Amino acid sequence: MRIALLAAILCLAATAAGAEDLVSGLSQDQVEITSNYTGTDIVVFGAIESSDNTLSTTGRDVVVVVRGPNANMIVRRKVRIAGIWINRDSMRFGGLPTYYFVSSTRPLSAITSTQMLQRYQIGLAAIEPQSMSTHVPAKAEPYRLAAIQERANAGLYAEKTNVEFLSYSLFRVRVPIPATVPRGEYTAEVYLFRDGNVVSAETTPLDVEQSGFERRIYRFAHRSPLVYGLAAVFMAMLFGWLSSLIVRQQV
Amino acid sequence: MEIYLPIAEMSVHWLILLGMGAAVGFLSGMLGVGGGFLLTPLLIFYGIPSEVAVATTASHLTASSMSGAIAQWRRKAVDFKMAGVMLAGGLVGSWLGVFLSGLLRAAGQSEIAVSAGYVILLGTVGGLMLNESVRTLLAARAGRSSAPRHQRQYAWVRSLPGKIRFRQSRLYISVIPPILLGVLVGFLSAILGVGGGFVIVPAMIYILRMPTNVVMGTSLVQIVFVTATTTILHAADNYTVDIVLAAILILGGALGAQFGVRMATRLRGEQLRLMLAVLVLAVGLRLLWGLVATPDDLYSLAIGGS
Repeated sequence: MRIALLAAILCLAATAAGAEDLVSGLSQDQVEITSNYTGTDIVVFGAIESSDNTLSTTGRDVVVVVRGPNANMIVRRKVRIAGIWINRDSMRFGGLPTYYFVSSTRPLSAITSTQMLQRYQIGLAAIEPQSMSTHVPAKAEPYRLAAIQERANAGLYAEKTNVEFLSYSLFRVRVPIPATVPRGEYTAEVYLFRDGNVVSAETTPLDVEQSGFERRIYRFAHRSPLVYGLAAVFMAMLFGWLSSLIVRQQV
Repeated sequence: MEIYLPIAEMSVHWLILLGMGAAVGFLSGMLGVGGGFLLTPLLIFYGIPSEVAVATTASHLTASSMSGAIAQWRRKAVDFKMAGVMLAGGLVGSWLGVFLSGLLRAAGQSEIAVSAGYVILLGTVGGLMLNESVRTLLAARAGRSSAPRHQRQYAWVRSLPGKIRFRQSRLYISVIPPILLGVLVGFLSAILGVGGGFVIVPAMIYILRMPTNVVMGTSLVQIVFVTATTTILHAADNYTVDIVLAAILILGGALGAQFGVRMATRLRGEQLRLMLAVLVLAVGLRLLWGLVATPDDLYSLAIGGS
């Protein structure tokens, strides 16, 4: 939120100067995880409005960041003890995004400085937890990298350069939302860079929800777990009884 | 053909799961075992989180034991008094197991504990079964009969206090051994997602000296209620019972069991036991490999915690 505010101020400053502005949108503002959900793509699109159409496209970059809801994560490291691999050392991170996708027109390091990327938390290398279970950042570093790697292997963190320009001002990006994404409030942030500085930014919310039957079951299991357990047992006993009837008819 | 499991929070091919349920149902129908010791590892190999696999298998076992228990009950081959005494222990064991698996999950040792528990259990039981069935086969080849020698109860079992009469089993024994057996089986069902039939049946025959005709029915009735309790406790404490997954597995299991029971009539008992022993050992070895092989990635990530 703070970032968005900062970006909005920057954006206002930029328009006041009569330079470039950004409008963006999503192909859908809600992704519903239903029983046959196998992952989907959403499209983030936008246009750059400029008072002066003769401005060069070199030095102009678009970066799109889609973030999932934050969660606490524990990274554990296996150690061989008496021949068996056992989780021993661990690091707790508070507030890491569960999903993170960034796409840009050029590799991020070519667009702007590392400090700038860190300020806006743009790029996999810039993902930082809000808190961690140690005061020694160097100790946490291998665990932070491992967490990012794990999420990337699961298809939940990605860094790409697939921002497509359809014309001088129109652009779009395909953002994969795989089947394993967590539910919650997502945000799609679009940044316009000019010579390494953010001149405009926009944030659009995106809702990822389980819907229909799945959602009802998930709610049921978490809101009245005892009744849910009884229902599971009732179903199992009913099935068992039915199949014993079938067996008897055949014998 | 994918379906989203709301509790496991993942997409799966439901036909593969139906097939797994059917394969395990086939084997359990053929070999006369519940099949939890096969189903839980299979689900874990497929990628279902181990705590969801354990808890959901418990509800699958409720269904498969239920149909067996009803069949035995019709034949009046159930000692309800014995089942009740064992169940009293089973409830305590189940509660202990669910409590411990919650602790293990919080400590991040759930996967390793489940694997190690299986390796020990399957290694011991598989080894004993293999030993026994090879001996029987060798004895049969040498032309000797291998009928089990009928023995009296062990002295330590007879010396225990709190004796009551179990009319159906024609026994007059202390309630302590059946209660302890119940605790053990309840604990195993909660922590490993096994019905424990392959532990309890030999124990009822060799330790309690129950007549074999009531052993099967009594253990099935006991397993129905212990796994039902385990399911409820896991659902209430750990939110790990996936009802959609359970429905698919139960359906597959019921289909497979029909064929398994028919196949069993064509095979000889010793062959079946040998097959079961080899299967149990193979699953155990596969899990052992998972524990000792150097992992591709030393780090693992868990969501949640505070």
